[in-house]
Amino acid sequence: MALEDIFLEAVEKAPADRAAYLDGACGSDAGLRAQIEALLRSHEEAGSLLDQPLFQAGPTMAAPTSTEKHELLAGRYKLLEEIGEGGMGTVWMAQQIEPVKRLVAVKLIKAGLDTKQVLARFEAERQALALMDHPNIAKVLDGGTTPSGRPYFVLDLVKGVPITKYCDEHHLTPRQRLELFVPICHAVQHAHQKGIIHRDLKPSNVLVALYDGKPVPKVIDFGVAKAAGQSLTDKTLVTGFGNIVGTLEYMSPEQAEVNQLDVDTRSDIYALGVLLYELLTGSPPFTRKELEKAGMLEMLRVIREQEPSKPSTRLSTADGLPTLAANRGTEPAKLTRLMRGELDWIVMKALEKDRTRRYETANGFAMDVQRYLADEAVHACPPSVSYQFRKFVRRNKGPVLAASLAILILLAGIVGTTWGMFHAEAARADAANEAEQKRQALGQKEAALEDAKDKLFQALVNRARRAQKRSCRAAIRSAEGDPGSGPDSYDLRIANRSSRGPGFAGRGSRSRMGSLE
Amino acid sequence: MTEVTRILNACEHGDPFAAEQLLPLVYDELRKLAAQKLAQEKPGQTLEATALVHEAYLRLADVEQERHWDSRGHFFAAAAEAMKRIVVEAARRKKRAKHGGGRERIEVELANLPTRMPPDDLLSLAEALDRLEQVEPIKARLVTLRYFAGLTIEQAAAALNISRVTAHCYWTFARAWLHQQMNGEKPE
Repeated sequence: MALEDIFLEAVEKAPADRAAYLDGACGSDAGLRAQIEALLRSHEEAGSLLDQPLFQAGPTMAAPTSTEKHELLAGRYKLLEEIGEGGMGTVWMAQQIEPVKRLVAVKLIKAGLDTKQVLARFEAERQALALMDHPNIAKVLDGGTTPSGRPYFVLDLVKGVPITKYCDEHHLTPRQRLELFVPICHAVQHAHQKGIIHRDLKPSNVLVALYDGKPVPKVIDFGVAKAAGQSLTDKTLVTGFGNIVGTLEYMSPEQAEVNQLDVDTRSDIYALGVLLYELLTGSPPFTRKELEKAGMLEMLRVIREQEPSKPSTRLSTADGLPTLAANRGTEPAKLTRLMRGELDWIVMKALEKDRTRRYETANGFAMDVQRYLADEAVHACPPSVSYQFRKFVRRNKGPVLAASLAILILLAGIVGTTWGMFHAEAARADAANEAEQKRQALGQKEAALEDAKDKLFQALVNRARRAQKRSCRAAIRSAEGDPGSGPDSYDLRIANRSSRGPGFAGRGSRSRMGSLE
Repeated sequence: MTEVTRILNACEHGDPFAAEQLLPLVYDELRKLAAQKLAQEKPGQTLEATALVHEAYLRLADVEQERHWDSRGHFFAAAAEAMKRIVVEAARRKKRAKHGGGRERIEVELANLPTRMPPDDLLSLAEALDRLEQVEPIKARLVTLRYFAGLTIEQAAAALNISRVTAHCYWTFARAWLHQQMNGEKPE
């Protein structure tokens, strides 16, 4: 074995066991052994030499080394074992000694964050944190500074596993996952009502532990992100983007603004949406791999602008679909079908880029999930036609403008011709009306003329009769005075004329009548 | 496309000489930046190596174009080397003449670099690192990335294209080795 390998093996061993190990490893090579022993001495002496960069903000802060084990913080928290490591620091299981004896979790914040500011922010939030009391929230109990100057937080110890891991390990069906998701929303709602935003919701901050045999989700680290100032300011972007990469997948679009720090409760709703997305499809909307492919600023742009694919689409294109389906106790085709529709809508509503279009509250989110579970109509619905149209117009300004101009011109043409046609029709109708009136007037005139003719004729007949009577009377008078003319022949003539009666008044006899006069 | 982006692209396509062109560019930018920061900041406040290197990166490279960790790795390697040189020069000057008149302003500012190590130690570390570079170049670069550019061990591992576990082993060994060298014990 080479010098380096033996040295590395030896370093791992307890000092007491090293001699025995070296006896075996170096054998009779005294030179090699001397070198290794010298190196081991140097290793012990070097301590944390070079562990901290040559220059860095803040006073020298000890790196997280094993020396912290068994350290006593504030005289009451004894660090027992490191149980986790995150973007912000390390998490330890610790024994609280007084006032009560119990196990707690201690989160040691990484060296390099500004201790004073962290603690000031924590003090500011402490009152609010103390007010939180919810079965699905692990409380923040205390906070302070280690003797070496690193800030720490004391939290309820939750012996659980991240929710995504729990769900996959227990092959929970989508329905069971949704049921587990609802209380998380309620926990977030509770905190929001107390004025606390989590800012860093992700599976590793939502642990599932068994209480009385039932899985209970617990949200941890409430308020820690804010106190530790893990906000994406210009500074953090520049100083340690290794840190921000840790939670990029769960960062809301407004948190991904470089200079803007306008974060509100709706950022948590977004993170809840990402969590549900991951619970259902097995991966967050933007995977770490996807984001890492892009450059730093590109990553943030993707989060701000790119629409993620719908859960059903993500599932149908996922590589490990059979495994995903098996972990959810169903078959690939069934799982994709289940996701399409309402679940797609619910998840996508929580993930809206525009936060005014997300669920207003965590409760609203939970209620929609419950509506789905109870087979009621969900409030989230696919974007309305008008909304999609607006989006479409915004995307294709030029062509849409041209098309609407063309349509406008067409419409104007149609309106114009229709108007013209209408007018022509009206004019024609008027003319016809007038002609009819004329015709009627003509008819009336003719009738009046006929009438006048009849009246004239009647008058003529009456006059004729009166004249006849007068001549009859004169004839009688003359007959009485002049018997010579013989009454027989004359009377006979009169009788003859009278016998013709009214027929004598016929139109055809007018000329004869005239001569008779 | 900036000059640095062009060089980084060349690095990525395997041009062995590209990396050498990168160093002077990064060196100049870092020197200016560091001096500027030191001039601006209130006394007592310190300067972060990581911040400096990242800022230089944002200034020099076309961030929109840079998408791969690979090319950033090349950049950080150059930046760490440049930082080392800047710090070593400052330490030399500090040792040589406390009051050598006629120095440029940048040098005056850089003399105030808030280092964790006294100049003597720093110079012997630099010498030891040069010796390590001869025998174990990757380990020497790992130390430079971490100590002078302030990268975390994970980031340094990524930049050097080695696993995290390997990086930890290298780190342990290099630290002991350098300590031994700095304290005058010859390994052989």
